[in-house]
Amino acid sequence: MVDKQQEHVETRLSRAGLLKVTAAGGAGLLAARAGIAAAAPVHTAAESGQLQVLDWAGYENDGGQPMFAAYVKKYPKNKPKFTYMTNEADALAKIQAGLRPDIFRPYVGWTKFFATSGLVQPWTPSLIKNFKNLNPFMVKAGQYQGKQYGIPDDWGFDAILYRTDKVKPKSKSWGLLFDERYSGKIAWFDDIGMLTVAGLYLRFPNPWDQTDAQLKQSQKLLISKKHVARLLWSSEPDLWGAFGGGDIWIAYAWPNDWVQMKKKGLPVVYMHPREKPVAWVGMFMLLKGSSRPQLAHAYVDAWSSAKSGKWLEDTYGYGHANTKARPSSSDLLRALQLTNPKAVTLPNAYLDRDIPRRSVYAKYWEEVKAS
Amino acid sequence: MDRPRPDLTTPGLLGLPLAWLVAFLLVPIGIVAAYSFNVLALGEVPHSFTLQGWSDFLHSSIYLSLFWKSVELSLIVSGIIVALAFPLAYYLALSGTKRKYILLLLLIAPFLTSYLLRVLAWKVILGNQGVINSFLFWTGIRSPDHPVSQLLYSRFAVMLVLGYIWLPFVALPIFVSLETLDRRLLEAASDLGASRLYAFRRITLPLAAPGLVAAFLFVFIPTLGEFVTPSLVGGASGYLYGNQIVDLFHTGFPDWETGSVLALFLLGVVAILTLVFSRFLQPRQVVAD
Repeated sequence: MVDKQQEHVETRLSRAGLLKVTAAGGAGLLAARAGIAAAAPVHTAAESGQLQVLDWAGYENDGGQPMFAAYVKKYPKNKPKFTYMTNEADALAKIQAGLRPDIFRPYVGWTKFFATSGLVQPWTPSLIKNFKNLNPFMVKAGQYQGKQYGIPDDWGFDAILYRTDKVKPKSKSWGLLFDERYSGKIAWFDDIGMLTVAGLYLRFPNPWDQTDAQLKQSQKLLISKKHVARLLWSSEPDLWGAFGGGDIWIAYAWPNDWVQMKKKGLPVVYMHPREKPVAWVGMFMLLKGSSRPQLAHAYVDAWSSAKSGKWLEDTYGYGHANTKARPSSSDLLRALQLTNPKAVTLPNAYLDRDIPRRSVYAKYWEEVKAS
Repeated sequence: MDRPRPDLTTPGLLGLPLAWLVAFLLVPIGIVAAYSFNVLALGEVPHSFTLQGWSDFLHSSIYLSLFWKSVELSLIVSGIIVALAFPLAYYLALSGTKRKYILLLLLIAPFLTSYLLRVLAWKVILGNQGVINSFLFWTGIRSPDHPVSQLLYSRFAVMLVLGYIWLPFVALPIFVSLETLDRRLLEAASDLGASRLYAFRRITLPLAAPGLVAAFLFVFIPTLGEFVTPSLVGGASGYLYGNQIVDLFHTGFPDWETGSVLALFLLGVVAILTLVFSRFLQPRQVVAD
């Protein structure tokens, strides 16, 4: 069924590619992007209505700043209308239940899932003028079978944040999240990624695709150590409140959390464990059958600019896929290793990847929480 | 001779509420039931009637133990609050104070603020640098390096906040049942030589029983499926059955089948409890020895 849907998409895309070439006035554009198949059906006629965006809370309001201000300036009659997603599963449930956004933003580990779900269509990168400045490793991570299903944008690491005045790690390891000495002072992330972390800690060859026996072992570790975790955080302000208030000393965290805690004057270290941190990248995806593909491309182009990138980095403390974007904070520059375009790949980090048995992982994780 | 016109008053009055109930209660429950039996499924996946979700649930030690954990917590919260609210309502209803309605208004005043704010305020009070710990540091009872950490992100925090949130709900039905108590019965008991304790045990308490049961149910039923308070102040150990239902629908990977099974099971338990307790909600008579 998925195959049929993809075949249908490809048929549409070929036609869309032709339209695009006609609109561009030559075949040169097609040749320029020969490596990436032409994708979204781009209508030459003006598209109408507000662009429907399903995104994470906070990304809907840039206060007139660069994030998507360029888009609003160009298309004042088609301002984005936002609906919120709390995570990818929430977005999936909303779309499957009938929500029809033009764009939404899952993270890189979901690229293959959505690309094969029949719910999304590939982008036409040549319509995104800032595309050429996007980190090539992240761009590649947004591809599936040669088509650009995800346009990378915000990114960061999953690693460990701890207070140097309270915590003395025995080693640079994910094991610090399970350290009995700090029982009741540790925060885990409320996500199936904790099973991946357990898999990394247990040195499994592929923590994203664990066998049943390995999953059971990871789950057993998490259940046996759950008593050390005081908080399972799912939104950064929750973590900041608990960490900043001294309730938590060690946390599964993102680079921005380190920056925020430093701003509070806390002595903190953002530790990359020896088993490697995991890098995550937000991927804009275009819903299949969107009636506003041109507007969607313009919106993503606005987000992809270096100016937007700098603003995102300064305001939210996340990295931005535009390699020319540089934050004002040297702390963030170091935490994200922004001068190293390979920072998100080995040997520095594992770029988060598809979990083929996501529903099984989810069940195991739910059982950890319920235990 | 004119034919009598059909009386449409009753169906006219009941029609709208009944239609509302059907559209927004029975039909949604039916849809959830359809998901629980896999008759409906999220997305374009093959689906057909199966009892697998129910079977997995009933054989799952994890889900059932979480349910019992929630039942236990709700029972403790409900029991303690009813015990605390009774003397309060008793004083308001029977002390004869002229300020009872002002005091009652003060009791329900927190309802005039947002539920979320009331819960979040407790984070400020219970945290390591919160009001309670700061007081303990100030008095020298605890040093700043050793705050009482169990106050927040714990089962205790969930019970405390739920108790605070639901206390007015519990006090009101008890107050109403005591307020309507026929005082002449107490006077008669006193005239006949009954001690105050005896009169309380044989007259006040039985007549207040419907209010007590209603109060207990008012807090037990909503706290059994509670998920907002545990997610804000419960931490890893305060995770309850309601949180599990929410997570099955919205996090990890949507599993509406299992989520619907859990939700329907909760609904069934609540319905049975309501039926069982409804017989105690009838006004009771006091029978003399």
